[in-house]
Amino acid sequence: MTQHSLTAAPRASWLPPLPLIGAKLLELRKRSVLMVITVSFTVGLPVIFYGIRVIYHLSDPAHYGPAGTASAFATAGTLMAEFGFIVAVLLGATAGTSDLTDGMFRHLVITGRSRLALYLARIPAGLSVVLLPAAVGFTVAALVTGFLNGPRAPGTLTPSAGALAGAGLWLELYLVIGFAVGLGLGVLMGQRTVPVVLLIVLDIIITPALADHALPHFVNVERLVIGVAMDQLKPAVLAGGAHVGPTGGGLALPPMPTWAMAAVIAGWVVGWLAIGAWKMATRDA
Amino acid sequence: MITMSEHGDSPRQRAGEPAPGEAGGWAVEVHGLTKRFGARAAVDNVDLLVRQGSAFGYLGPNGAGKTTLIRVLLGLTRADRGTISLLGLPVPAQRARALARVGAIVDEPRFHGHLTGRQNLKILAAARGGDAEKQIGPALDRTRLTHRADDKVSAYSMGMRQRLGLAACLLADPQLLILDEPMNGLDPAGMHEMRDMLRGLVDEGRTVMLSSHLLDEVERTCDQVAIVDHGKVIRQGPIGELIGGTGVAVEVQCSDPSAAVRALGQPAIASRIALTDDGLTVTLIAGPAREQAAEINRRLVGAGISVYGLRPAHARLEDWFLSVTSRLGEEQ
Repeated sequence: MTQHSLTAAPRASWLPPLPLIGAKLLELRKRSVLMVITVSFTVGLPVIFYGIRVIYHLSDPAHYGPAGTASAFATAGTLMAEFGFIVAVLLGATAGTSDLTDGMFRHLVITGRSRLALYLARIPAGLSVVLLPAAVGFTVAALVTGFLNGPRAPGTLTPSAGALAGAGLWLELYLVIGFAVGLGLGVLMGQRTVPVVLLIVLDIIITPALADHALPHFVNVERLVIGVAMDQLKPAVLAGGAHVGPTGGGLALPPMPTWAMAAVIAGWVVGWLAIGAWKMATRDA
Repeated sequence: MITMSEHGDSPRQRAGEPAPGEAGGWAVEVHGLTKRFGARAAVDNVDLLVRQGSAFGYLGPNGAGKTTLIRVLLGLTRADRGTISLLGLPVPAQRARALARVGAIVDEPRFHGHLTGRQNLKILAAARGGDAEKQIGPALDRTRLTHRADDKVSAYSMGMRQRLGLAACLLADPQLLILDEPMNGLDPAGMHEMRDMLRGLVDEGRTVMLSSHLLDEVERTCDQVAIVDHGKVIRQGPIGELIGGTGVAVEVQCSDPSAAVRALGQPAIASRIALTDDGLTVTLIAGPAREQAAEINRRLVGAGISVYGLRPAHARLEDWFLSVTSRLGEEQ
């Protein structure tokens, strides 16, 4: 036993050190099934989507147009957003609950490390797992759209670099939201399955239903749903257009002011992260 | 040192207060600790003192509140009342500083099954910070896990997980180890190995506090014990002194043990008589043991019972535990 004094440990700090973030990243990276799902839905999906379109176009150009059209980009972007959101939720919930379900949470708390630091380490670790492959997948889509768009018919538009970049940022923001909500809800419930199912239901059933129907007297409540706010912020290029900027009034609901959209989005991200932090700090280990 | 622990003694007396100038102090000091779950007190006004550099056993039946006490000590759950100090530092006020030199296993040691033993330790070392990562290799060596360190934990046996739990404790280069049922699930060879490891740690000057319901293992491993039941510490002190306080016992081999019990009970010659497989064990009342043994022989022969043998019985923790708990049962 080395004889050193019980010094005031920086471990009480709420800031997670890099090795702690790296350790969480290692734990997530080594989940092979989760990684296969993540890479499949973020990189594999656009690769297969555009791969099929390229093959069709090459085999029968008269019937099948070039792979990189604006409408194809909108379809690919929507698919990447929907599946990417689900993957982000899954990753967030896993990052929030794996220590607990595997029995490691207790070991970690016993180290004396601040619970807030343990919690915050999950955010950069988990986000890096989902955002990097999503960026790769989006880059594939953008490159195909930029270089394999073929001779343009009169009147058609090709998304500009600025429009593509805006779409990429929107997509990544959507995944950040999915991750944050999955993390917060996962930590709150202490398990992964129910939060993932709830958020899939929210994403593919509740949000489209609300976006398509303006409920009298409840429009402002509908606007608080994250998917509704994000749909209003959705770049036109992801809705089949080619210009820079949000689609705005593409939904059944009256358009929201930008500040309101930003507030709803920030509220969901910060709110769920704060709920997760509170639960992590107060949970019996 | 106090010779016999009873309810009236102070916790310091019960634990054997260090003499003036004696090195060390209390690795664990707990006063009036209470933790309730609804109306039930899982830890009920517990006073506990664990001397630094000792092996301390926290004994009790399942459900007695052993794990809850350990969870409260480590700040895994909050106490309702009382004070805790680990290595001289108040908990929870200075919990992070205290736990920097504490290693602990609570309940069954569980880890990320999809990671290797080494990777699990790497995660815990990252949480500990400092030099903990450098301790991974030595900790694996010490717990004899080096050859399996790069296998996934899902392939580990229970004994290997216990050893990995101990390796996780060693990352802290701990002055104090708090281990909850460390022998659980181990085969006899595994228990022997674990016992040797724990004794080795104590020999280095570390303090080991372990909870268990395995009396024999505690007797072999620990210097001091506390007995807990229904959340209360009912006895506490050095094992030798506690067992010594139970009195001298004699094993009697005879032709009719049941009749022997009756013969010795009227008038009472013993503080306790227990039937065994081939006779009975008689715990003598205070007084000259040789004369009492002779009186036992006279009475049995007088009652027409053939006596085949009389020999001193080795007092054991289990006997003491049973005598204490049976006395309590009678008091209640």
